[in-house]
Amino acid sequence: MIADPTLPETTTVASSAGAGAQPSLRRLMGEIRQRKVATAGLLVFLAILLIALLAPLLAPHEPLKQNLGDNFLPPAWKDGGDWTYPFGTDPLGRDILTRLMYGARSSLIISIGAVFVGLAIGLVTGLVAGFYGGFLDTTLMRLGDIQLAFPFVLFAIAILAVSPNRTVWHLMAVLGISSWVIYARVVRSRVLSERNKDYARAAQAVGASRWRVLRRYVLPNVWQAMVPIALLNLAYFVVVESLLSFIALGLSPPNPSWGSIRADGRQYMMVDPWMALLPGFAIVITVLAIGLAADGFADILDPKLTQGAFQRQPLTSSMPDSTIAEESENDLLQVRNVCIDYPAKSGTVHAVRDVSLDVAPAEVVGIVGESGSGKSTLGLAIMQLLDAPGRVTDGALLFEGADLARASNKRMNQIRGRGIGMIFQDPGNSLNPVLTVGYQLAEVIRANRAASGDGIRTLARQSLAAMNIADPDRVLRAYPFQLSGGMQQRVMIALAMIAKPRLLILDEPTSALDVTTQAQLLAELESLRAEHRTSMLFISHDIALLAQIASRIVVMYAGQVIESGPRDTVVANPLHPYTRALIGAVERVDAAGEERLEAIAGDPPDLRIVQPGCPFAPRCPLVMDRCWTVAPPRIAREPGHEVACHLYESPGSKEIAA
Amino acid sequence: MSVPLLQVEHLSKHYPIRSGLLGRRATGTVRALDDVWVTLEQGETLGVVGESGCGKSTLARTMLWLDEPTGGSVRFRGETIGKNDLATLRKEFQIVFQDPYTSLPPRMRVRDIVADPLEIHGPVDGETIPQTVERLLREVGLDPARAGQYPFQFSGGQRQRIGIARALAVNPAVVCLDESVSALDVSVQAQVLNLLRDLQQRHGLAYLFISHDLSVVRYLSDRIAVMYLGRIVEEGPADALARRPLHPYTVALLEAAPSLKRSEPARIALKGEPPSPSNPPAGCAFHPRCPMAADLCRSQRPELAEWLPGRRSACHFALDVPAILGKAPV
Repeated sequence: MIADPTLPETTTVASSAGAGAQPSLRRLMGEIRQRKVATAGLLVFLAILLIALLAPLLAPHEPLKQNLGDNFLPPAWKDGGDWTYPFGTDPLGRDILTRLMYGARSSLIISIGAVFVGLAIGLVTGLVAGFYGGFLDTTLMRLGDIQLAFPFVLFAIAILAVSPNRTVWHLMAVLGISSWVIYARVVRSRVLSERNKDYARAAQAVGASRWRVLRRYVLPNVWQAMVPIALLNLAYFVVVESLLSFIALGLSPPNPSWGSIRADGRQYMMVDPWMALLPGFAIVITVLAIGLAADGFADILDPKLTQGAFQRQPLTSSMPDSTIAEESENDLLQVRNVCIDYPAKSGTVHAVRDVSLDVAPAEVVGIVGESGSGKSTLGLAIMQLLDAPGRVTDGALLFEGADLARASNKRMNQIRGRGIGMIFQDPGNSLNPVLTVGYQLAEVIRANRAASGDGIRTLARQSLAAMNIADPDRVLRAYPFQLSGGMQQRVMIALAMIAKPRLLILDEPTSALDVTTQAQLLAELESLRAEHRTSMLFISHDIALLAQIASRIVVMYAGQVIESGPRDTVVANPLHPYTRALIGAVERVDAAGEERLEAIAGDPPDLRIVQPGCPFAPRCPLVMDRCWTVAPPRIAREPGHEVACHLYESPGSKEIAA
Repeated sequence: MSVPLLQVEHLSKHYPIRSGLLGRRATGTVRALDDVWVTLEQGETLGVVGESGCGKSTLARTMLWLDEPTGGSVRFRGETIGKNDLATLRKEFQIVFQDPYTSLPPRMRVRDIVADPLEIHGPVDGETIPQTVERLLREVGLDPARAGQYPFQFSGGQRQRIGIARALAVNPAVVCLDESVSALDVSVQAQVLNLLRDLQQRHGLAYLFISHDLSVVRYLSDRIAVMYLGRIVEEGPADALARRPLHPYTVALLEAAPSLKRSEPARIALKGEPPSPSNPPAGCAFHPRCPMAADLCRSQRPELAEWLPGRRSACHFALDVPAILGKAPV
């Protein structure tokens, strides 16, 4: 089976997610429908903005026109009020509604303008500081630090107090200059992290100039962080602008502003409180609306925040009868007909489909499959640590006879760690970066009451020595970042082993490590198994690796077990075409010369679609008509060696009832 | 004899270790790369293997002048490269990174990612930029109809194909593959390795292929250089090197890779980690981990010498190193 790499791959994953023109716009519209409060805030703000912009058309009167005969009129809903002046008039007989509308105009124009001024200055200084670094960076950032040391309102007051004439432009400039540091700092830190990303390096390797890298690769990622900051800044400026005009340092009179209307009304609080209260309401409503919009839409830009909090819910349906009936009591872990779904807007992902497997005490079972085969999801499900919204929808996960899918959260907490331990691919993310290895080990030892007093240190040292760490004292004193990846992973395993779990789930524990370190780690895991009789569920994409440590191998494809059996049988006599292809793909050491490597064409299937036949059919070199329409039965060929494939349907083979 | 495409002599890259409150005082040196001699011919693949920190990535980066070397020279088509030639040479040297998730800009469409090098260096003769992008996507086995999509809509193997298309856009002479398949599933690695071999034959590319896994490198490489602590410890034709290694470290690397065929225990299983390159051991740098180490190895550093025709090794006992897959003829 030789794949032709020039053929377009037959994937459908994501192509339905929007090959079209504007996927992000469509997503945005969807998000807006999801967030009612934030949308309400946004609409209110837009309405106020519209009123402000259209004030000359909408206002019933002239903002500055005095009519001393009609002064101190109360609002329309009070005795003596008149709908000619819905909110009444001020001491000079000017219409308060009109003045509020024009006040909104000056408040918002100044605030929005000031945000742009601050954003522009901050963006440029941040980009320059972040990208050029060195002396420029130091100078600009120190300037910013000095400015931040002053309360900026005082700074603005000081400048405005000496300005003879305060126009919209003056106020925009003063407020804008007072806020550039916030943007500059955020931009700078984003630039520093983005320009070291591989894709920025790749662009430099191509020969892109610094300016080009900045514009095409760095800026698009910087914008995203700016939007929520700018919105909150806007709300703040609305307050500050009204404060400044309240103390007569805003726009030069007689131009109305919410702050100055309030200041005018203050003297007549006892006679007519509405004059002061109405602009106050306007300010509160505006700030609240901006705040709600900024808060609600900030996380659109960070898709990770939209996932919702982790909350595990035990399965409430009763266990299927067939799962309890089996007599294999000496199995530590029995996975029975487990199904796991991730509900999503674009369609539910059926990540694990009717999977059953057993792990006996002191046995190592290997699960092999490509990315997206459901192997990691199954591992997380056993620990009941599935990321929301994923959940076990059917089946049972029996650990020492108790069903984990139906266990209470309290019970699960007792089982995690002590009953089942788990090791992940990236040890750097699993260790706390600010605590020494010794501290982290001691914490776990105390939590498990494995030792006390002086015994803690002895046990910590022993547990590292058990992982073949030559110099345990140095490692105990070290912080995780001072250790190599292989050493970090040894520490993680030592941590997990302190609670003496009966089962260890290892999810690609060596995939991020050198092959030499991987070989060492396998030897250490094998000695742990021999000494403590720890069972292991070893998850990997590399069947050759599993063949070195596992006694049984389970092959997963598209969330299903397609073949399982004793290691030697599966490796020597693989039945499923997919298993054969996996084995072909790792036969590299001997593949020399002009021979092509065996590869599996195409990509794993879209797990949102449940097709009627065999999930491997689109990529299978031996595909038959039946494979497209009929799900293959599970067939036992030799004791313990099962395969789900139509190729092996014959009178001699025994079909297993599902 | 023709002039090699790239010729590296005495190449070194040293990083000062700074300490003190302001980091101003250099208190030591990390010899990330020390006196390396190596050549790369037109259309050839040189595999560079070793553990993390052995200097293999530093070698590639200094060879292609992405980092300036501390000492030594790099000659490209016979001309010594200096700082001022970089603008024109940049397009001859391209790189494909390890991580398909971070090496593509997340907010750019595939067509813009592949077109970017062309916009910098100008379109290829007789083709408009969109035509070139379409041709490149086809060449790496992607459907040009998906050019408007973003990287997140592709699988890991497909993203790596996008990275390869970007690297090939400007018709480079050398492509550095920096652990380019290490993050992929084994089954997908095979696809990408086959693709790389096809592209090499079609375009006459030279590859500098860096990996910690000798079995991956062996498939694609004509010659392999094994590095340990900033130096080349063995170098030679890929097949001969894998069949009869002349350095115990090469044996260890070969045996560390999981294989379905080998059943006997490893003869040279590595223990511990490589020593720090800031404080290398006296004598042969490998002696603390070497099962063959003798007194000579502890006192005298072996030079990289030609023990068999075309086969260089830095081991005092190169010819006594156990053969790997039977005693194959050299």
